[in-house]
Amino acid sequence: MKEKITMPKLSDRMEKGVLVAWDKNVGDEVKKGEVLFEVETNKVVNEIEAPCDGVITDVYFEEGDAVEVGKTIAEYEVK
Amino acid sequence: MPQFEKKPEWLKSKFNRDAVNVVAKLLSDLKLNTVCKEANCPNLGECFEKHTATFMILGSQCTRNCRFCNVVHGAPQKVDPEEPKHLAEAAKKLNLRHVVITSVTRDDLADGGAMQFAECIYELKKLDPAPTVEVLIPDMKGDKAALDIVIAAKPEVINHNVETVPSLYSAVRPEADYKRSLDVLRYVKEKAPDIRTKTGIMVGLGETKAEVFSLMDDVLATGCDIFTIGQYLRPSEEHVPVREYVRPEVFDEYKQTALEKGFSFVASSPLVRSSYRAGEALATEEMK
Repeated sequence: MKEKITMPKLSDRMEKGVLVAWDKNVGDEVKKGEVLFEVETNKVVNEIEAPCDGVITDVYFEEGDAVEVGKTIAEYEVK
Repeated sequence: MPQFEKKPEWLKSKFNRDAVNVVAKLLSDLKLNTVCKEANCPNLGECFEKHTATFMILGSQCTRNCRFCNVVHGAPQKVDPEEPKHLAEAAKKLNLRHVVITSVTRDDLADGGAMQFAECIYELKKLDPAPTVEVLIPDMKGDKAALDIVIAAKPEVINHNVETVPSLYSAVRPEADYKRSLDVLRYVKEKAPDIRTKTGIMVGLGETKAEVFSLMDDVLATGCDIFTIGQYLRPSEEHVPVREYVRPEVFDEYKQTALEKGFSFVASSPLVRSSYRAGEALATEEMK
């Protein structure tokens, strides 16, 4: 089963978030709770955690991209 | 593309989507506000994952317009008589052992919202087991009768934040008064010595170290027990700018100094907010 990872809405007024760092690459195994990528907002850099174990199959954005809330950033195969 | 000021490496916060959604839905179903969400708290992910939250009662619109705060300034909402029961229900569902309640400032209400705070405390104390309760109150214009209502409900902790050093009040808290805030803390401690009093400040607004140390002395003179220090983080371009990202070692220095001066518990680090891990602060206090 594939799981989509979307840009989270980190505040009520947030429309886009800037993806400032990828901590994982395509093909990497990830454990639930590991940091997938980092999103900068007004206050802090948010480390977005994997919601379950899996392997990253696709990433759709690069570091530096501004991504709309709700857009799929990555997909991974759930283990 | 949104442009954000580059953050120092120590300002990172974890976000777990599923954990946040579970708590957010529960609170939404019960029509409850949290300061975590309204203030866009950087610790929301961590706290919701641990099933903790700081409830914000008396609506989501504040009658004051502090220049650091993300809570919306606007016409106050009708007081919800069901709110205390809903809050207790949420505390039960989240299995909270320590509940923190704050509010928007309600200068429009005769009692400043004191009775709603009290009703929430009474409802929480009906739970079995009853959680410990911490209230983070506005200054209630320094009205002693209003403060008496909150004190009579016997929360374990009464917190009132002085927020910043006095020289920055006009720029940061234009509708507040440093001395009045100190008087609130002093009055609570004089009236109810068994209730822990607590206050907190933000740094990085342009204050000097000497001013922070002087503020510690002012606060200690009120008999205050617990002190928190965190980095001011600008919610938007419309708010006062961050003058400095204070380094973690300076927070350590502040903590050490505050403890040496006589506070019994101090939380001081960049992402500390006044209710962050508040239960741990009280538990540590109670062991003394």
